[in-house]
Amino acid sequence: MFKLRNLAMLAAPIGVVLIASSCDRQPGAVAPGIGKPLAHFQPGNFVCVPVKITGGGRIDYPPEQAEKNPPASHEYETFGAHVMGSGQQDANGVCLADKGALEWVDHRPEMEVNGHPLNLHATEVTFAEVATDASCTDGAVHWGGKLRVQNTGQSHLDFEVWDCDNGEPGRNDGFAIRVPAIDYAVQCFTVTPADPTCYLTGGNRQFHPTH
Amino acid sequence: MNIDNFRRAVLIVGLALPMSWTAGSVAAQTARSFGVQVSTPTLNQTASSAVLPPGGDQAQNSGQSIAIGGLATAQDAFAIVNGDADPTDGSTAVSSATLGAVNLLSGLITADGVVAVASSWIGGATGSDAEGSSLANLVVNGASVSDPAPNTRMDLPGVGYVILNEQIRSGDGVTTSGITVNMIHVVLLDALTGAQTGEIIVGSASSAVGN
Repeated sequence: MFKLRNLAMLAAPIGVVLIASSCDRQPGAVAPGIGKPLAHFQPGNFVCVPVKITGGGRIDYPPEQAEKNPPASHEYETFGAHVMGSGQQDANGVCLADKGALEWVDHRPEMEVNGHPLNLHATEVTFAEVATDASCTDGAVHWGGKLRVQNTGQSHLDFEVWDCDNGEPGRNDGFAIRVPAIDYAVQCFTVTPADPTCYLTGGNRQFHPTH
Repeated sequence: MNIDNFRRAVLIVGLALPMSWTAGSVAAQTARSFGVQVSTPTLNQTASSAVLPPGGDQAQNSGQSIAIGGLATAQDAFAIVNGDADPTDGSTAVSSATLGAVNLLSGLITADGVVAVASSWIGGATGSDAEGSSLANLVVNGASVSDPAPNTRMDLPGVGYVILNEQIRSGDGVTTSGITVNMIHVVLLDALTGAQTGEIIVGSASSAVGN
């Protein structure tokens, strides 16, 4: 009995550590965590293959729509974004990106920071995985990394992007972004080429199955 | 083996092969955008300019407050360019230039919200467009102008003329395609001779692809 109790005392801390570490967020792990059930980009429906998606353009959000808002409203966002997925996984199963870039400008007056449009700039693009359940004719990618809020200098903020190429021209393409640390998101769930992406109102996304 | 004949054969092949390369046999893309450009005999300045680097990728630039030669002021200029040349999966180039408040020639032309978007693609289809381009609260010589059609020209008595939503297309539409969008293009003319003395361009985005 004494030996059994000692064994239990030894095992318990180890058990606690094991349980705690299994609950820890794996560095770079994919975790959309947007709190809404999606019809597309669902967990378990990604493959880790070499991929590239490029381009940029304009989104008019809100509302969720495929048309431009009245210009005087300034209710639009502009961006440039690309990523190259390596097709390789790290030890945690995260699908690694080779490189990428994101420049995002939110022109909405209500989103201004320090009197200027919100400007997000990616400093690292770390993961990229191809979605197999998105209804995007040419391809869809879920990717992300770290960014800096240019207006304030806040940096090392996680971001993720949902990216949809629905052919050319780009008016049927989609794009969405989320930055949890600043409670910021441009996502569409009702009028969308593939939720949570929002329709582009200008520009183009180009999916390349190889790179 | 007759070495002289061999040398002649190498020379002929070396000269003939390059001539067999047709224009556009290598995929290419270009993209450029800028916020404001002023050109006069005494001033040549471009503010907030981004040029796509050779080989593609992304570039961006911005300027919170622009003032050029007493002729042009602008706020919150962002230039973003993105592109990739891929002869297998399709090439794309997208550029955008956005600005907040704009004032030209001491209030002769004002606007609040300039968006220029140029997009070019080649793959399953070939084309370019200026979708997403817009002008907000545009006033020209005291007259409000709403949603000007492409290449709308308005005279500026004693100054010259302005072309609004200028769109210049290039390429054959099959192997090459390009577009330049200048949202406000002022041409300055000598009041006596009518000769051009300068120009001011606000919100310019260019893109081109070739295969």
